[in-house]
Amino acid sequence: MCFSCCPHGAHHPIHCIIPPHMLRVLALRGDERQADMARSLLKQNEKIRQEREEHIHPLLPPDDALPVAAAARGRARKSAPAFFDRRIHDGQHRAALPGVLVRKEGAPETGIADADRMYDASGEVLSLYAQEYARNSLDGNGMPLIATVNHRRNYNNAFWNGDQMAFGNGDGRLFRSFIDLSVIAHEMTHGVIQYSGGLIYQDQAGALNESIADVFAVIAVQRHLGQSVFEADWIIGGELLGPEVKGVGLRSMKAPGTAYHDDMLGQDPQPFHMDNFLSTTDDNGGVHINSGIPNHAFYLFCMLLGGKSWERPGEIWYRALQDMNNPMAGFAEWSDQTVGAAISLFGMGSPEMVMLRRAWKLVGLPT
Amino acid sequence: MIIEISSSGGFGGLAAAALSKRIDVDQQSTALQRELCEYFEPRDLRQLAAAPCRSRCADPMIYRITVTDERSGRHVYTLREDQLPPEMLDLIDQM
Repeated sequence: MCFSCCPHGAHHPIHCIIPPHMLRVLALRGDERQADMARSLLKQNEKIRQEREEHIHPLLPPDDALPVAAAARGRARKSAPAFFDRRIHDGQHRAALPGVLVRKEGAPETGIADADRMYDASGEVLSLYAQEYARNSLDGNGMPLIATVNHRRNYNNAFWNGDQMAFGNGDGRLFRSFIDLSVIAHEMTHGVIQYSGGLIYQDQAGALNESIADVFAVIAVQRHLGQSVFEADWIIGGELLGPEVKGVGLRSMKAPGTAYHDDMLGQDPQPFHMDNFLSTTDDNGGVHINSGIPNHAFYLFCMLLGGKSWERPGEIWYRALQDMNNPMAGFAEWSDQTVGAAISLFGMGSPEMVMLRRAWKLVGLPT
Repeated sequence: MIIEISSSGGFGGLAAAALSKRIDVDQQSTALQRELCEYFEPRDLRQLAAAPCRSRCADPMIYRITVTDERSGRHVYTLREDQLPPEMLDLIDQM
């Protein structure tokens, strides 16, 4: 916000830097004076937004044409200290967790392939959060990262249980492995979500939980491979499927509903638009199904913006997650939250904000 | 006694990746019969299913367990994998 938005030309530095999402909360929860002030500033915001939109060119300016201040805001990242505490366990094909500790932080390779791959991949994800978003481990306070491989027998799954993650080996037919960077980043991000306020694992809030986990999963993969958004395949679980299964992975953010079509697995059921939102009691209200909609919004946003997904798009999604304070949030609230984050990070009327609104509209949000 | 177990959910949310098992307890060895009766006693399953679930689990498998015997009839329970003791999960994997 600039000085000119302040009433009567007076400079109120605190009023002038309060972001809109905070003003909306103040308008609801503040006393009469605070609420009036917040509503007045929101009206002025809206006026400025309308004036800017009249001048916004639909094509995105190239990166080097970004205003210096906005570029600096978006790219000025602090890193968190990179002191990892990875503890990889071998479940020895039984259900008891965490199993036997086989590799702790700094230890040499064990020779147990899945344990060593888990060690490396979890390090990639911890580095992503530390270097790009200044987050020290899943809780932001350097908590140990506990993982179990070889969990149970022929176990076609991976999960986060609130304290650690666990990975099966698959049955060799439908799934050949779950030790895949996108799956590992997905499960670790469930931990980040939990420690960021949480999202209830049911219905739309649960689908958001799933979607945010998928978003940072593809971000981790793309960053590891050094890919731009246009080079990436946008697939979750690309290394999971068995040799005879017809599909490219478990989910596609680029084309929800197309990841697999197979006699054994069936067809990928994910929608990409609110028109096809599935109301179901299965899968906790379709958390792995309807996540296709916000997944696709993130993909579209990245396509509109270009560049690297872990930079501006990832910063916005991460900021929105940290700012949100509602474990029961639905898709509409989340879309608002991300737009608010884009405004906070890059400014009202910025290309990031405009393109993000466009991406959400393309998936039918807000409804 | 007949025990039927099916699963759903998980990382992929896939019904097709789910297991489906049926075991006739009376046809098993004495040792296995004892184990199955111990872990799949309807009263105990009811307690497990009724326990408040404070888990922050994401991507768990969900198990639907149907126990049918001549005396007490058919009982159906739905439980998340983090509600089941590890010994019971190992037994399910062995079936």
